[in-house]
Amino acid sequence: MSALSSRLSSLDVGYPASGGGARLVAPAMLLVVAVTGTALAAVIATSLGLLPLVGRPRLSATGFTSLTGDLRRATQESLVTAVGATLLAAAMGMMIATIALHTGRAGRLLIGVSAAVLTVPHLVGATAAGLLLSDVGLAQRWLGVPVTAWPELVGGRWPWATGFELAWKESAFVALVVVASVGGRYPQLREVAAVLGARQRSQWRRVLLPLAAPALASSSLIAFVYALGSYEVARLLGRAFPEPLPVMAYRLFTDIDVASRPQAAATAVVATGLALVAALGALPLLRRLGAER
Amino acid sequence: MRRTARRVHHTVVPALVLFWLLVPLSPLVLWAVASRWSGPARLPQDLGLHGWQEALDAGVLTALVRSGLLGLAVALIATPLGALAGRAFGWRLLRRPALPSIVLLAPVVLAPFAVAMGLDVVILRLGVPGEVAVVLVLSVFALPYTTFTMRATYLALDPALEEQARVLGASSRQARRRVTLPAATTGLVTAAGLAFLVGWSDYAVTLLIGGGQIVTAPMLIGSSAGGSGNDSLTSTLAVSASLPPLVALGVFTVAASSRRTASYS
Repeated sequence: MSALSSRLSSLDVGYPASGGGARLVAPAMLLVVAVTGTALAAVIATSLGLLPLVGRPRLSATGFTSLTGDLRRATQESLVTAVGATLLAAAMGMMIATIALHTGRAGRLLIGVSAAVLTVPHLVGATAAGLLLSDVGLAQRWLGVPVTAWPELVGGRWPWATGFELAWKESAFVALVVVASVGGRYPQLREVAAVLGARQRSQWRRVLLPLAAPALASSSLIAFVYALGSYEVARLLGRAFPEPLPVMAYRLFTDIDVASRPQAAATAVVATGLALVAALGALPLLRRLGAER
Repeated sequence: MRRTARRVHHTVVPALVLFWLLVPLSPLVLWAVASRWSGPARLPQDLGLHGWQEALDAGVLTALVRSGLLGLAVALIATPLGALAGRAFGWRLLRRPALPSIVLLAPVVLAPFAVAMGLDVVILRLGVPGEVAVVLVLSVFALPYTTFTMRATYLALDPALEEQARVLGASSRQARRRVTLPAATTGLVTAAGLAFLVGWSDYAVTLLIGGGQIVTAPMLIGSSAGGSGNDSLTSTLAVSASLPPLVALGVFTVAASSRRTASYS
């Protein structure tokens, strides 16, 4: 027994020595780099006229310049939808997480329901939101508002229904990430704060919020870039013009005029650039909050 | 006064949040069992399962099986790759983890439709089957979830356990298979579940690369919701695509909690 324990103590029983990790991450990295690298190179080349469906490749920025006005409007539409949906998702997600962390059985129920919402495909959520918010939808029927007086929530001037669906599903995601990240540490810290005389509101503001901030910020960033790139929700619930970037890209991509392909690719490049800029812009904040841990 | 405020805090607010989470799904449930529901009636005038018969006629079962296979294929690729990478991150086996972290998180930032659009041009030229391309693209989008779920799992596992098994005579493979993997089961199942959901729920990638030829459950929902005007059929398709993952989540939750109870007793 003593021989065994001396042998054990002579081993490094902490983290295994560094190195060898490269072999473990290599397959996943290879797949990501091969697929996304090929795809993004092809999208950029197509947007610049270097990968035409028919004809000879010719370097040109026509894909971008011929669409300037539409691209601006689509970018605006995408940003309005994504910003609105993210703010609502973050607020509701934080509220769900707060209640889940403060209440026993009701909290567990909320976590279970949030996990269930996460399994529902966005397309299903969009279908449900349409049936709930349209001018002959469930909300209009239950509230007894005349059809003519019902606001244009689906396909109207503002992307209410699209934002609502994205916020609904992403709020469940934000809540689960926040609970998973602070769940273990919060009860003890809260107890200490309570013993030191902190009231409920102060416990939330001074203990839970700083503890949850990294998870809240990183999950909100994920929700934002998801909303920017989401196609099906805006396709079902948004207006025909101006469309957000993914819907516009798909319309141009499936146009019978093959000359629309560079325009579709240019739209995809703008959407990707926007998401990358958002992620890079949020990195300093995430780093300051310690979200990389 | 204070008691009223407390009651609002403990009952009304949780109820409102539950309302926020559940109410959006209520039209689907009602429409799925309605055979006649014309406005402005608040509830269906006639209940029935016409929508289900129409869904069966539309090929919902085949579409669900196809979605299941797609989810399974994505999980089979993304889970082991994510587990390997998660082991390297969680047990700090990388000298410079920043670049691999950025690469493996990158798919979260990229729009699936943009990747699918770019790859579509390439696979047309190379003659790669659409199904293979869809599985590869979706596996890439599942990898951040599997990798970082497994990173958290390995962070919570003590690597000393594996070392001790080796001291007791196990080969490194036996130690991984008999000690580490059983301890990481919950993380592995969660990672596989998330990867499965990426494949099961996808619409944009299947539509763009498959060009409408790969008919999964979301494709049926999309085409019905987009222009059929048949709310009963659309809702039935939506409910049938939501039920299998919900049932799986329920089974997983019960199994995990009974496992926890068994380990405490």
